[in-house]
Amino acid sequence: MSVDADETRQRLKAAVHYTVGRLCQRIGEDHRREFSRQVVAAIAETTFRQCDVFAKDLEAFARHAKRSMVSADDVKLLARRSTALSIYIQNKSEELAQEQRDLKKKSTGKRKSKDTEEESRA
Amino acid sequence: MAEKGEAICFKKETVSKLLSSFFKEDKTKLSGDAALLMAEMLKVFVEEAAMRSQKQAESEDCDQVEIEHFEKILPQLLLDF
Repeated sequence: MSVDADETRQRLKAAVHYTVGRLCQRIGEDHRREFSRQVVAAIAETTFRQCDVFAKDLEAFARHAKRSMVSADDVKLLARRSTALSIYIQNKSEELAQEQRDLKKKSTGKRKSKDTEEESRA
Repeated sequence: MAEKGEAICFKKETVSKLLSSFFKEDKTKLSGDAALLMAEMLKVFVEEAAMRSQKQAESEDCDQVEIEHFEKILPQLLLDF
């Protein structure tokens, strides 16, 4: 059982490392300054460990609100330390909510037009 | 934070599995929205780490971003998050 857990952990670390590498490459290109492999690995490792901190905090926030599902509100709380970050996450959250509302409108819009079609036929 | 053409980001599923693996209780779950927002947050974290390291290398007149540059900016980065 612990072998599986280790494997999953390694795969997750690798996934994080991959995306970190790509982000560092892009920033390196933008500023014409390459990131050494050691730095990329260090940023990836730090990010991975920071997820542990984030996860524990998110779990605590949800439990405090007597929920077992971590919500967007918990993430917003997580971003409280930096005003700029807080605003950024708030905006992203509203963007997501808007997207979902738009998707809902599309599907109810289709249903509505179908209904009016049937009504006019009847 | 300017948006570039090809958006590099963390996959929702990866973020979900990653955070879930650190939850202490089995019953704790992550909502879809929370996973997407956390993906954004992690991206910002990495970008900050990279940008600050890069600036540190620049201030020291170095051509490459090395581990010492990252080490110098790490304490403040962790405090800011």
